[in-house]
Amino acid sequence: MLLASAAALPLLLGAAGCRSSDVFTGPDPLAGRPPLGHDVLTLQAVIAAEENMIDLYQRAIGGDSGTTRARTLRSLLAQHQQHLVQLRARLIVPPGASPSPSPASPSPRASTVSITRLRAAERASAADLVRRLATTPPALAQLLASIAASDATHATALGG
Amino acid sequence: MASTGIVAALQAALAAENAAIFGYGVAGAHLAGSSQAAAERDWTAHNQARDALAAMISARGVVPTAAQAYYQLPFRVRDAPSAIRLAAYLEDGVTRAYLGLVAVSDQRLRRFGAMAMQDAARRAASWRGSTQAFPGMSPPAS
Repeated sequence: MLLASAAALPLLLGAAGCRSSDVFTGPDPLAGRPPLGHDVLTLQAVIAAEENMIDLYQRAIGGDSGTTRARTLRSLLAQHQQHLVQLRARLIVPPGASPSPSPASPSPRASTVSITRLRAAERASAADLVRRLATTPPALAQLLASIAASDATHATALGG
Repeated sequence: MASTGIVAALQAALAAENAAIFGYGVAGAHLAGSSQAAAERDWTAHNQARDALAAMISARGVVPTAAQAYYQLPFRVRDAPSAIRLAAYLEDGVTRAYLGLVAVSDQRLRRFGAMAMQDAARRAASWRGSTQAFPGMSPPAS
């Protein structure tokens, strides 16, 4: 028999001691979307953390508009917003996948955030970004290291 | 990045530290009081970083590049404000140099470079009186 019908092919492979996965390499089109790459997952996590940081700053500023404290916080907030823009610009998500985990929605009556909490968040963010450097490609590692350095200066600017 | 890339990145950081050591010597001469004390503290930190980098380069069987006898300053330093601007400029240069180490394949060197960036960025912010969104990097195109 020179030609086998599609229906007979699995039987022929089985007779030859082969499983279909041995013959057809590559992703199984019936297995659903492939898992997201490590870089995408890293970026999604860092973006979510940056969004949470921005929410913290917005709550810390609250209705305070004219004080020196508010001006300082707004300046740091603007830099976090720049971080977010650059991080999102590097995120390429496969079609159909969620762009990033949604940050926890702040409650309209969420408590205000203290400077101490902001400082701790900045320090934690810098440390987390440095931890991620080991497994990221060079260009992304440089961006994360730069953002970590920025966060470290923020912690100092907040009195730490 | 291969071993040659690692050594090149270490040498670049060493060069930036040597330039900073020279520059702080100039800046410190125009400062007084707490600013001069801060310059001396930062000068000492750069000397320590230079020694650490030289040891890391030597450990790889390479001779650390020697400091130059003189460095061309980016602008004329003749008073305290220009000395403070120079200090911030020097720290920016050091931050940029360590950014190169963050791109090497050695994970410990990446961390070392990132932590050195944080130190330099803090010093730069202290001299400048303000923080930056992306220390060590060119301003991203918006």
